[in-house]
Amino acid sequence: MEEKIITKEDLLKLCDDIIAKGHTLLAPGIAEYVPVTNASQIQLDSSALPTKASYKSYVFPKAEPILYYKRSKNDVQLIDADVDGKKIIVLGAKPCDTNSINIMRHLFNWDYEDKFFDLRQKHFIIIGLMCNSFDDYCFCTSVGSSPVSEEGSDLFLIPLDEETFALRIVTEKGDEFIQQYSGFLKEGDETRSFAVIEKVKHPEKAFDSKQVHEWLGNNFESPKWDGIGNVCLSCAQCAFVCPVCHCFDIVDEDYSYSEGRRMKNWDGCQFGHFTLHASGHNPRDIQSKRYRQRVNHKFRYYVDKFGQILCTGCGRCSRGCPVSIDIKEIVANCKD
Amino acid sequence: MNNIYMPHLAEIREIIDESPDTRTFRLKFKDADTANSFEFKAGQFAEYSAFGDGESTFCIASSPTHKEFIECSFKVYGKVTQSLQRLNVGDTIGIRGPYGNWFPLDELKGKNLLFIAGGIGMAPVRCVIENVLDWREEYKDVTIIYGARSVSDLIYKQEIGEWKIRPDVTTVVTVDPGGATPSWDGEVGFVPAILEKTAPASENTAVILCGPPVMIKFTMPVLTKLGFRDEDVYTTLENRMKCGLGKCGRCNIGNVYVCKDGPVFTYAQIKKLPQEF
Amino acid sequence: MEELRKYAKELLEKGEVAAVIGYQQVNERRTKPIIVTDPADATKLVFNEYCLNNLSVYFTRARIRSLMRTKDKPTKLAITAKPCDVHSIIALIQENQIQRNDVHIISFYCHGVVRDFGCEFSGDYLASKCITCETHKPLYYDKIFGEDKVTPQASDKSLAKIKELEKMSSKERFDYFKSEFDKCIKCYACRAVCPLCYCQRCITDKTIPRWIESSSHGRGNFAWNIVRAFHLSGRCTGCGECDRACPMDIPLSLINRRMAMEVKDLFSFVSGRSLETPTLVGSFDKKDNDEIFM
Repeated sequence: MEEKIITKEDLLKLCDDIIAKGHTLLAPGIAEYVPVTNASQIQLDSSALPTKASYKSYVFPKAEPILYYKRSKNDVQLIDADVDGKKIIVLGAKPCDTNSINIMRHLFNWDYEDKFFDLRQKHFIIIGLMCNSFDDYCFCTSVGSSPVSEEGSDLFLIPLDEETFALRIVTEKGDEFIQQYSGFLKEGDETRSFAVIEKVKHPEKAFDSKQVHEWLGNNFESPKWDGIGNVCLSCAQCAFVCPVCHCFDIVDEDYSYSEGRRMKNWDGCQFGHFTLHASGHNPRDIQSKRYRQRVNHKFRYYVDKFGQILCTGCGRCSRGCPVSIDIKEIVANCKD
Repeated sequence: MNNIYMPHLAEIREIIDESPDTRTFRLKFKDADTANSFEFKAGQFAEYSAFGDGESTFCIASSPTHKEFIECSFKVYGKVTQSLQRLNVGDTIGIRGPYGNWFPLDELKGKNLLFIAGGIGMAPVRCVIENVLDWREEYKDVTIIYGARSVSDLIYKQEIGEWKIRPDVTTVVTVDPGGATPSWDGEVGFVPAILEKTAPASENTAVILCGPPVMIKFTMPVLTKLGFRDEDVYTTLENRMKCGLGKCGRCNIGNVYVCKDGPVFTYAQIKKLPQEF
Repeated sequence: MEELRKYAKELLEKGEVAAVIGYQQVNERRTKPIIVTDPADATKLVFNEYCLNNLSVYFTRARIRSLMRTKDKPTKLAITAKPCDVHSIIALIQENQIQRNDVHIISFYCHGVVRDFGCEFSGDYLASKCITCETHKPLYYDKIFGEDKVTPQASDKSLAKIKELEKMSSKERFDYFKSEFDKCIKCYACRAVCPLCYCQRCITDKTIPRWIESSSHGRGNFAWNIVRAFHLSGRCTGCGECDRACPMDIPLSLINRRMAMEVKDLFSFVSGRSLETPTLVGSFDKKDNDEIFM
């Protein structure tokens, strides 16, 4: 790991250059990560809470064409869908967001490789920013991360004072990217950044993920799921704002009598019709089974398959839940 | 990079109306290379496209030993199957696959085979039967027990006729009480009862069992009573799928993805799964 | 508060109700719904300015309705409802989704709630619907608690926005809604929290034929949001839950409120205000203007 120092002024100049080169620069806005058109819009605030939605939609769009078809009398012609290979730089990504692409990569690449995800993620440069605040819903420390985790970042910023940042070069990709801006960088002093990191307050650990994993394996039929199922209203807000939820639907859309496209759209396991068979049979017919699936998928199934918890602890699902269901509380309650 | 969601195109060469609501397509890949290289094993499934209405999941119903075409059979239920039903000979559909695991026919060589199927559950079983009959000398006794609600609901009537006249296959066909016609010469009764009456030997026998959940529920105790072990009973699970590639998140039962780890499971494996299917 | 808990406990103990649908405190500035079936849990019930949820939505859920049939005899469901939530209950009764006799309404004098959890209760953070609210005392109830207090003063920004939109050209207005609907992610939280979105199978989930494209692109989002606005015209009681639930901050209640204004002008009808007046869509009046029929 190499550490440099960059002033805020130079960092903003770097941003202007990124924009001038025609790349997409994403930064946390009010509700979501938004494309920045002018560096002066950027707020690099380590004490901001996570945005309402993550930047997931830039690597796994909410609706994207996967192929186009043209029908003639008997015949069909298929045209492959292209992926826009635009470079995307995320500036000021929260440590609870930076690892999301790494987590989803397992799913999109086991056995079959999803080119739409792969080609997009290849063009991402993630510049993480240390996090210096948390609220009742944050629980990154319970899922193996922390407010100062560099995991998933290519470059990582630590605010040293109002005007300067320590810039840690985390990956080769990050190194390659920052080389072109070496003029902005000064030699770093690790003692200063360590002093800042040491003072960062971490949210208290709410549960032990290994114990939760074990409990889930033994309590598929627990009455606890019923209580949650009664209150949950079955919207998919939680899945759609989640930085790592990745379930999708495939639908055809005609746009004329003979032409159309096949779309891959976000879908959510909390919807009743998600698993509904055409015959009318539904393996997860009631909300308690669907919520059980959500928790098990995140804290057990994904761990079994890929050795990774399907959760970053950002707390978005709980913060935004219309009926205030708090996943941290539910998971912490996954014990006898 | 390859687009894993891109289907192969195939032409409908023949349409067989199996029953009032079940239809079989005989399909030929349009691209000669695909037609030559497409290989699968008995029990695997595919995603079939009706362009404009989407994709639907069915097993490949023809035997892998028949190279010149593939067949699928589907019951008209939802949007895609209704759309497929509107297609005619010469029309084009899409096929993605083959996906999933298969019946371990190589491992079962030297054994007796007992096939039990109910209704549309005959589609995956028929694929295995046709495969086995092409390798007939590799297996010992072959017994087929097939039931449907009524005579008109029986599918693959032509094939059943061929199996019936073969001396090396025991074929028992039954319809549910009330489903027989005056000229019906087969059995009348539910599959579990007919199985008990037929009482095939359980020694060195593997069972291939597919049908509606209620049939499986009542057939299993009879099999146990006749001495079959859960490890020797192979069946398939059909959960809703969209991708078939282990990604879209619908078909899992616990941490088992039916599209990747299935659709073929032994009854012993199914018993260990969370009861959510 | 103690009175409420004692009352709820008694209702449950006497077996008069199968459950009390109420609010539970999460932290100082947040509450959440709770379905109380055990009298011992009645102590968890609260009512205050942070009780934002419109709990009448639970009457539309089969699992909650089934609680009414768990005992030998059919039992009522009790609900703690703000006066504005009572409007939704009235609308549900009028649309035959529940019977008045099945519901035990525990209501309160209300002087407003906050706009969102975590806000301080003051004019600046008052929920939009509370600014012009005239129903501090519920129109119907079986039991009422509290006393009438004055609502903090606040300016009606939502009405100002509606006026601003009315002044725009149709192109400008279209562009405004396009930019808002572009944000939609089709999570259907608006539908899930709406007491009047009770269809067993929503039109957007129907696939044969597919009326509304399920993709969340411009066309699909417009189709969904406009169809929803139509289906709620003359029915929406203005509880504002869709606004609050939307994770993308789309101002859905602007549309619903504007449609309610239209309905009031044309038919002098306001949804959810009377058990005697028939529903707008379910009734015909010879005085109705023919032109409004398609």
